[in-house]
Amino acid sequence: MTYEAVHARPDGDSTVARLALTASDYGFDGVVVRNHGDALADYDPEAVSETYDVDVVPAVEVRADDPSQASGYVGNHRPDTVVLAVHGGTVAMNRFAVEQAAVDVLAHPMRGDGDFNHVLAKEAAANGVRVEFSLRDVLDCTGGRRVRRLQSLRKLRELVDYYDVPYVVSADPASHLQLRAPRELVAVGEAIGFSGEQIETGLAEWGRIASRNRERLSDSFVEPGVRRVDERDPSATGDGHD
Amino acid sequence: MKHLPKHLRQRWRYLGVAIETWPDAAFGRRDFQRELWYAAQNLFGDAGSADLDMTILRFDLADGDGAAVVRTRRGEEPRARAALACVAAVDGDPVGIRVRGVSGTVRACEENYIHRRREPPDQRHVAFEDAEEPAVARDGKVDVRTPEGYSGATTLDFQ
Repeated sequence: MTYEAVHARPDGDSTVARLALTASDYGFDGVVVRNHGDALADYDPEAVSETYDVDVVPAVEVRADDPSQASGYVGNHRPDTVVLAVHGGTVAMNRFAVEQAAVDVLAHPMRGDGDFNHVLAKEAAANGVRVEFSLRDVLDCTGGRRVRRLQSLRKLRELVDYYDVPYVVSADPASHLQLRAPRELVAVGEAIGFSGEQIETGLAEWGRIASRNRERLSDSFVEPGVRRVDERDPSATGDGHD
Repeated sequence: MKHLPKHLRQRWRYLGVAIETWPDAAFGRRDFQRELWYAAQNLFGDAGSADLDMTILRFDLADGDGAAVVRTRRGEEPRARAALACVAAVDGDPVGIRVRGVSGTVRACEENYIHRRREPPDQRHVAFEDAEEPAVARDGKVDVRTPEGYSGATTLDFQ
């Protein structure tokens, strides 16, 4: 199962439907619509999913100037969002994201002034916060800027490997033209030092987060391992004896 | 010069590539070839680019929908894929690129992976985000010309 995490209108240039159509065509099993919190998309996930035969996961990428503001946004969005990411790229926001177990994904931690180190890596692993490898800059930058981005991706990869931090991979497309098929992403990953399995695992991880969180959001969920079962429906108990 | 005996000739692989862009893009084969060479060179250097030896044999683009057959050395397909994926724009027009498949002959590549052009796209006006905008529709895809540039949508957005 491969998923891609996209930015749709008004955050990007394409609607959720167009991104879903293209992703389905490219062989993805799902799209995670991770618009920034201040530019949420207006769409019907079920209708899009049914029409284009691709899983559509509602998500939010929280973007804030400082951790206290971000903390409020995370609290607001968490109860009804399937996947919650934090817009990384500054030392303070990276630090904030990896310390919150309520956060699913720290998006592009190395962008801009962002950096990552062993302290953040241990913290992310302890809290189960996935760190994103964003291939966006590799795909459309050139020259010195791309060299620096490749260097920071390598640093991040080495830390993630060493501390066994969970991770996701994305080309972070803001339009259907920036989408690339899974096999292409694997090929690009291999060209810049990732293994093919790492890229595939990272793309599939979005789907694993989505299915885990959907279970948690469902009415029958009480806590991990505990589920409320309707007594009037014998098929739901599953154990066959009363 | 006398050509090489068959067992010594270079073996090629042909990649069937689907190209998507905004309807007003008007780049041609040479522009695409140049961007592809740059992409390969930027990613793999001169030596790698020489190994890939990517050449565009067929190219067709109209109204934002196109296809190409790209030749590369046998065994270099994964790196050729990576170079193709790194072509983000041609002549300033953003492009979506996907390798539909790889074949051992140009003919098989064209037959299996290059689809013949269907009817010309449909020009119409659509109600998009509270405004009436001109749009180009094709196969359920709708490219809307908004004041800030093109936006990608589908027929589902106008139901």
